[in-house]
Amino acid sequence: MLIDDNIIDLKINSKIILISKLFDEIIQCQSGEEALNYFTMNSGQLNKLPNLILLDIQMPEMDGFEFLDNYKQMPAEWKANCLVAMLSSTLDFGDIRKAEANSYVLKLLKKPLIPAELAAIFNANFNITG
Amino acid sequence: MTRSPVKVLYIDDEENNLLAFKASFRRQYEIYTANSAAEGLKVLENLPVEVIIADQKMPHMTGVEFFKSITDTYPDPVRILLTGYTDISALADAINHGDIYRYITKPWNDLELHNSIKNAHEAYRSKIDLRNKVRELEKTNDELNRFIYSISHELRAPLVSVIGIVNLVKMEGLYHSSGEYWELIESCSNKLDYYIQKTLQYYKNNKNTSDKSEINFKKLVDEIIDLYSYTDRDTQFNLHINQPNPFVGDAFRLEVILGNLISNAIKYQKDTEEHKIVDITIDVNPFSAEIAITDNGLGILNEHLEKIFTQFFKTKNNKGSGLGLFIVKEALNKMNGKISVKSSLNQGTTFKITIPNAN
Repeated sequence: MLIDDNIIDLKINSKIILISKLFDEIIQCQSGEEALNYFTMNSGQLNKLPNLILLDIQMPEMDGFEFLDNYKQMPAEWKANCLVAMLSSTLDFGDIRKAEANSYVLKLLKKPLIPAELAAIFNANFNITG
Repeated sequence: MTRSPVKVLYIDDEENNLLAFKASFRRQYEIYTANSAAEGLKVLENLPVEVIIADQKMPHMTGVEFFKSITDTYPDPVRILLTGYTDISALADAINHGDIYRYITKPWNDLELHNSIKNAHEAYRSKIDLRNKVRELEKTNDELNRFIYSISHELRAPLVSVIGIVNLVKMEGLYHSSGEYWELIESCSNKLDYYIQKTLQYYKNNKNTSDKSEINFKKLVDEIIDLYSYTDRDTQFNLHINQPNPFVGDAFRLEVILGNLISNAIKYQKDTEEHKIVDITIDVNPFSAEIAITDNGLGILNEHLEKIFTQFFKTKNNKGSGLGLFIVKEALNKMNGKISVKSSLNQGTTFKITIPNAN
């Protein structure tokens, strides 16, 4: 699942993920709220939930860190099947430190998304089930 | 510029003195009088008085006691003490605790008192002006910080999207589909991104806050090499890092310094060189870190050596922004570090750095 308010970045990053062939399906959300709605609507079906969320930091209304606060409240079962990495162009120390300090964030990926970095996350976290 | 007349408060228990003062100065100043410290305080509570003159010898509360009592509540008005007798201990007390600007004996000489009030008012103005300037600067600084933040987001985000698109074009095998256009777009975008990053480094370095964290040089250098060598896999790095002691310093500035020097060492290699080598030696002792970075690259012309640390200095065939080494030097200045450089053309360059250990 990609969460990013910028439609162009959503397009670019979906395409990059598609080409990387690491994931079968990409869910695009233009805001944290939209992503949360998706979770509520599909709460009964674990297989509909994404395995990985790539989360932008700077978004209007609900920013990436606020989304994480909501994510924290989700059932442990969801969280175990749905990991989070942040994806941002930020160079701001505050953001970088905050992302690194958050125990739910696997890694802060820098935009532009590099397939090799995505693959590294994939291999470190999903290599058994594929 | 016309200014409203200076507001002067004169406190004296002798009515005659108050009247005489008014008579002498009412044309030059806006005068308020009070016949006791308590009355004086009432005036202060209601008016922004700029100069206070108080008689020392008054019942209930002396002039010095009055000044002492208002040091915290009304620190701004400038104080002049008036006294009829020379009492050394009162004088010492006044200077030490009452924040007195002038000391004038009674009976006063009109000209002397007038000059004192004038000077006192100037002192008051400069005090206030300075405070306003500081406030203005703090505001500007604040805005600058927000500006930096917005550059790092608003300006860079779309640029990074462009770079992402170019990457996609590469992945889809379209990179060479329109002559060299994609290549040109990529090189322009990378250049712009480089400028944004250097500008941010410069401003972040400029902020006076310095953080003190423990530095593991081995880890830091490995990360930096990882970051910069992905464009160039040919260079061989020889690391000699000897860190028996902990080192405490500013992590951001160290990263900026080492990052710029190491990326330069990689960037300014000779294309013809088969064994591109960068040697990095770091020795940490309880007082400092001694760092040497040597490459066998292009080298620097002797006549350029003095200028390489100046802002926007570039050579004809240099691909840089003229900011890298300038930022290194600025960062070192903030850390009280030193840098020296030795180079011979086509042989290579050595940068030597000493950074104090804040441990």
